[in-house]
Amino acid sequence: MRRILIIDDEDDIREVAALSLEATAGWQVFTASSGAKGIELAIAERPDAILMDVMMPDADGPTTFQNMQQNPAIANIPVLLLTAKVQGVDQRRFAGLGVAAILLKPFDPLTLAEQISEVLGWNEHPPVQQDPSTPAA
Amino acid sequence: MTENANQEIETLLADLWQRHLPTLHRRLAILERAATAASTGVLAEAVCEEALSIAHKLSGNLGMFGYQQAGDIASEIEQVFRAPTPKKLIQLTALTQKLRQALAARL
Repeated sequence: MRRILIIDDEDDIREVAALSLEATAGWQVFTASSGAKGIELAIAERPDAILMDVMMPDADGPTTFQNMQQNPAIANIPVLLLTAKVQGVDQRRFAGLGVAAILLKPFDPLTLAEQISEVLGWNEHPPVQQDPSTPAA
Repeated sequence: MTENANQEIETLLADLWQRHLPTLHRRLAILERAATAASTGVLAEAVCEEALSIAHKLSGNLGMFGYQQAGDIASEIEQVFRAPTPKKLIQLTALTQKLRQALAARL
């Protein structure tokens, strides 16, 4: 089961995205309303991926991503930035960051999980299912 | 995807829309006040920044609720506030009216 952290200051976006991923893909979802809270949660939960809004008060998505890169515990977690349309200047800024993908708003709640899986290559590499009968190494 | 998941999401979206309405009314009012200020040539930077933020959020949210046309109008409004010129600013009143009309049936 995939575990996803959603970071967005908009309550509605967090709520719809979380239900979408839970209901359509059975993923476990954590949510945070700010970059700072998102970093705390990422360290605590070590999700498989982070879906993060770009425009947030205080630290925006790109700034939060750069802060995450400074922490070895979470630096390798793939981050997908979520933004309403991408401007020319923003594209250049995002391209140099090293995020896994940019997803555009509005997203379709019915296909969001599929979109995330596709960009992260999760369809080719599903999570390994642990066999309870196999003794641990 | 199961029919249940589909139904769950549709039900949540309908419920969220109702809960979101007071915020939406507030946001539309802010955009309209900013448009009025712009039309009189007195658009303070703080007002412009707030309106830009709101237009950006609306351009991202409205499509999620199924109001793509309204979301596109919000995106046009966002572009004006992002790079305000006298020629663009005078379009704001018409754009905000268009936005309200696009949502009128569900407000």
